[in-house]
Amino acid sequence: MTEESTDMTTEAAAVVTCPSCGEVAAPRARYCEACGTSLAPASDGVPAVLGGTGVPGVPAGPAEPVGAVLDLDPDSGEVPAARPCAACGGRVAEDGYCEECGTPAALERDHFEEQPAPWVAGVCDRGVRHVRNEDAMALAAPEDAGRRFAVLVVCDGVSSAPDSDIASLAASRAARDVLAGYGPAGDRSVEGTVTQRIAGWTDALVASSRAAGQAVVEAAEQIAAEQIAAEQIAAEAGGDPVREPPSCTFATAVVDGDLVVAGWIGDSRVYWLADSGHAEQLSVDDSWAQEMIAAGVPRTQAENAPQAHAITRWLGPDAPDSDAHCAATVPAGAGWLLVCSDGLWNYCSAADDMFDLVTRFAGESDGDPLATSAALVRWANDQGGRDNITAALARLAPLG
Amino acid sequence: MADFTAEVFQNEFLSDGATDVHAIVSVTCTGAGTAGGPGTASDGSTAEIIIVDTSGSMQGRNMESAKHAAAVAVDQIADGTWFAIVGGSHVATRVFPYPNARVAMVMMEPGAREEAKRAISHMEPGGGTAISTWLYLADELFATVPQAAQKHAILLTDGKNESEATVALDRVIQKVTGHFQCDARGVGDRWVVEELRKISTALLGTVDLIARPEDIAADFASLVEKSMSRGVSAADLRVWAPQGSQVLFVRQVAPTVEDLTSRRSEVNPLTGAYPTGAWGDESRDYHVAVRVPSKPVGSEQLAARVQLALGTEVVASALVKAKWSDDHSLTTRISPEVAHYTGQAELASVIQEGLAAKAAGDEATATVKLGRAVQLAAETGNEEATSRLRKIVEVENEEEGTVRLKRHTAKLDEMALDTASTKTTRVRKA
Repeated sequence: MTEESTDMTTEAAAVVTCPSCGEVAAPRARYCEACGTSLAPASDGVPAVLGGTGVPGVPAGPAEPVGAVLDLDPDSGEVPAARPCAACGGRVAEDGYCEECGTPAALERDHFEEQPAPWVAGVCDRGVRHVRNEDAMALAAPEDAGRRFAVLVVCDGVSSAPDSDIASLAASRAARDVLAGYGPAGDRSVEGTVTQRIAGWTDALVASSRAAGQAVVEAAEQIAAEQIAAEQIAAEAGGDPVREPPSCTFATAVVDGDLVVAGWIGDSRVYWLADSGHAEQLSVDDSWAQEMIAAGVPRTQAENAPQAHAITRWLGPDAPDSDAHCAATVPAGAGWLLVCSDGLWNYCSAADDMFDLVTRFAGESDGDPLATSAALVRWANDQGGRDNITAALARLAPLG
Repeated sequence: MADFTAEVFQNEFLSDGATDVHAIVSVTCTGAGTAGGPGTASDGSTAEIIIVDTSGSMQGRNMESAKHAAAVAVDQIADGTWFAIVGGSHVATRVFPYPNARVAMVMMEPGAREEAKRAISHMEPGGGTAISTWLYLADELFATVPQAAQKHAILLTDGKNESEATVALDRVIQKVTGHFQCDARGVGDRWVVEELRKISTALLGTVDLIARPEDIAADFASLVEKSMSRGVSAADLRVWAPQGSQVLFVRQVAPTVEDLTSRRSEVNPLTGAYPTGAWGDESRDYHVAVRVPSKPVGSEQLAARVQLALGTEVVASALVKAKWSDDHSLTTRISPEVAHYTGQAELASVIQEGLAAKAAGDEATATVKLGRAVQLAAETGNEEATSRLRKIVEVENEEEGTVRLKRHTAKLDEMALDTASTKTTRVRKA
């Protein structure tokens, strides 16, 4: 998860240090970025540690928020069948735990996978330390496109705002649906020379990020309406009725024939990892660390600063604008296109390191993008899983 | 229809790197009904054998009291129950049905009851003591009534198993284990607690001391009554533990301490079944300890499913969980139930070890062990154990467990302490 920073100066009154490791937390952060400890105040109703059920004297966690667990198949309206255990693939018993390894069954929202085409897949996971999955992902790869076409969207809910899990999922789906309309089979198909298509997709990405921003605003309004009663109760009880509006990051990659276009707001990333060994981060983080690097501060120093992860742009009601920044490339050969949240890249930031990691897991998975995404998520969990983790991959074969 | 419930008491929070999960699972049975079904008349699904020591040492008051007790027990056996009376010395004799009868066991009815009492009145003491032969005969008799799902025996002796090698008794105990349940009783102070405990533990029964012969009848009556009130003929405790884990132990901790760990039979590679015998309306507590591989802080995992099964049907289930946390206020909390029964189990073993050391003349060890017992009995509020211990030792400081051995103690008091050592008290409600 990522914190947003309203300005670049830190007010003394707003400084919060992590009770566990002493790390200075970004303003309004709900979890410590260093160790994952919850920073939520007691009045929030969230206990200072995960879980907390069954122990006298520890307040139970809040009931599952309204709408937090979304049906992942809204078109059919069907409740997905019970899935095998996310940890070992064993059968999940009726008591909610795996029959083989005892791992609790993941909620649909806590762990989901998509594979719209054999070459496009992604995994979105709660991780280890957070109680909720505020990452979201939406993928599309229509087969009837006539040429190679895929859309990969990843949104990372801002942890200082409650209900960002709802907002991020709404945003990612809205953006995906807009972008699909610009695809070869869509009614606003982007055509022409490479230069023309880059311009067309840049417009499309900005349209999609605005739609995503609008989706967050609408989700916020709906949540606010549902919570009026609850907040009145909280206010009467002396609680803090002021709630942060939900917000999230945005990272998108579009594959259109020979062209790859990336768009982003915040610090979720798009990497292009060519089989030749050429690896690059197509997106440029909208973060405090990136601004410091741009200003000449050494990368390691900037990335290890306490406020390194504070993002400078985001989607949400309080966002100054919702226009994605864009970059495009025409890959020469085969390779992997990766869109991910900081839950993954925090453990493997440099593009060359990411290349090594993805290549290794792809080799172990016979090049299957779903198995490779799952392996990336598992690996991040093994590193501590301090944040939500999303990894979406497209395998680009050489053209003609 | 019997109704089972299972409840878990544990602190599910583990500190970073911790691997051992402890839980007390309390299993309660209600609506068990009576053995063989509703009403008093049984339908032949239960069988009862009374085994009475008829060795030469029983001569006199013991024999007369035992005969009276057996007759009283026969009165308690419900009509429709298969039954037999066995007399035991260095050989075992079928007292009733008469040795020349063509059937090994008969179904109780008023005529059989009168005839059995007549047979009991003719029992004569004589010969030595070879308990293996008694159990062997009982097993043969029970084998003739396979339709009886619930088989129970009462064994009474007054002496040491002196007419045979220990290994002979061990071999027969092993052979008959699982075939029937047996409560063992010793009268007077010349029998050996360890011998009878070996039998009752293997055969899922109880062991107790009857100090005065005139108390045998009341005890027999209550044993038969209890046996007849067990409407559930057999149940297994099942423990599932995850792949890669290790079940450290499974122990019944209330009403008595019985280590079940070695009685495991495999249901599937991850699940073991532990026989618990017949159930009436009652509650039993189990201490389950499982070692799981440590997981990162924040992870949750199921450490054990503890279930009660009647045959293949699971009738109650409880979940033992593990949640790794770095909040010390959660991870350092000790479940009062786990602490209590850990103390009670240790109490049972230090009493037995202390008495064994005392018998062997090792007063130093005896003093330390019994001192620890005094301390544990006080800590866990086991007043019965405290008062029994005070007959054996002078307590200097209960809290620190410092004691002196008494010079002259009655053998009966030591045996009473020994037989009662496995009885536990339940957790005091805070």
